[in-house]
Amino acid sequence: MDAVVQFTSQSQGRDRIFRATQYACALSVYLLRNNSERKDLVAKLKSLETNMSAGRKLFRLGNTINSIEAAKRTMQLSDRVLSLCLTAANANRALYFICDNVLWARNVGLIRDIDKERWSLNASRCYFLSLVTSLTRDVYEVIQLMAQKARDRHFRQKMELHLNESPEVAEAVIPQLDAFLFLLLESLRSHPAVALDMLKNVCDLFIPLDRLGIYQSNAGVVGFCGLLSSVIGIVTLAQPKLRLRP
Amino acid sequence: MESWVRFNSQSQAKERIIRAAQYACTLLGYTLQKGGAAADLLHTVSQLEAHMSLSRKLLRLGNSVEALEAAKRAIHLSDGVLRLCLTISHLNRAMYFACDNILWAGKTGLVPEWTCTSGARDLSDVYELHLLMDREAHYRASKSPPSVQPSPSLSADPPSPAPEALPWLSRQLHLLVTVLYTNPPLLLDLLKNLCDIFIPLDRLGIRPTGSGFVGACGLTSSLLSIATILHPWLKLKP
Repeated sequence: MDAVVQFTSQSQGRDRIFRATQYACALSVYLLRNNSERKDLVAKLKSLETNMSAGRKLFRLGNTINSIEAAKRTMQLSDRVLSLCLTAANANRALYFICDNVLWARNVGLIRDIDKERWSLNASRCYFLSLVTSLTRDVYEVIQLMAQKARDRHFRQKMELHLNESPEVAEAVIPQLDAFLFLLLESLRSHPAVALDMLKNVCDLFIPLDRLGIYQSNAGVVGFCGLLSSVIGIVTLAQPKLRLRP
Repeated sequence: MESWVRFNSQSQAKERIIRAAQYACTLLGYTLQKGGAAADLLHTVSQLEAHMSLSRKLLRLGNSVEALEAAKRAIHLSDGVLRLCLTISHLNRAMYFACDNILWAGKTGLVPEWTCTSGARDLSDVYELHLLMDREAHYRASKSPPSVQPSPSLSADPPSPAPEALPWLSRQLHLLVTVLYTNPPLLLDLLKNLCDIFIPLDRLGIRPTGSGFVGACGLTSSLLSIATILHPWLKLKP
């Protein structure tokens, strides 16, 4: 119970739980859409989803400043590539929050004469760019890990063992591909934080891809990906060891 | 900026800001109505207030657990009066949050509306009881603090065998003022609870004051609450 209380006392913790619930509702609505007996339940789930989304927009009102502060911090990192990727990601996230705040003001009626659709698309574009830069950072981390592992003598012995295990398969298929995949999987396995962050960003990417029409999936895929990324977010917040830093 | 980030990361802090904004809207709505503002502006302000109220209910969804944990901790206090009052206060708060959650479920359409009308009344009753218990606990605590020294003017008076009512009352008041002056967290908490109590008093119709006064009280208590979060030394413990 103490751990639950501590988790929910963090603003981020609560937001991730609400996000998970929001996307779980979206997924359930999609799965039950053709079920005529559950129309009542579908209506309730839709209402809950809208409610959570509106509430989360209100709670995000101060997050622009958070992102700007994070961008200022990441500008001072020693690694140039990391600094560039993270600063770009945080800057785009700050722009996303600005668009999101404007949309909130439009939804509650504080601002009336703005083009809701245009601002919504801009928000999705900024979110998409922040995810792309975050993924670039993940790929960079993975490359660094793989390079480090390839230099490690102990790992090289392990690789030899793996390649000689199934000779008929290794020589028949592409041995370099086999070696590359083995190196990649071993690197990800030894650093679960990078793997989780990459998976989270890939799942999140489907949301703006669908919204912007770049890769149109359906509401079910978006719901599932949103739910999965929220659950990963909750896990990384509850277990700080699994969170990728900086 | 750094302090904003730290402040914002606390869920309670966010809730307090939204509460301050909600009661500011109530006060603004009242002022605009008195000033004869346009109907659609009034509608926007009341819509904003309703949206903030519902969102705060969403944010408070897990707070029953927190209140129960606080009640469990309060059972172990050494002072008898404080233990009783604070435990009951926390249990009432847990009930308040439970009613609050039911109200949120009703407003979102998850449960039928009939569960919510009685819930609203229960909510106000429970909240008022919690505020009264809190005030009682802190008042009792202020009456017998070990570190307070009586002022020299009082000790100069010779003690009479049958004290008159008026000098006794003035002595008690003087003691109360001294205690509150030397104990800012207690003063702040008393003021906050005093402001808060007008809200359920108005809702239950015990002492109707009007939306303007309720808005002003709610805004003041939210601002005091934000001050205790920004400066933790101002928070009354336990």
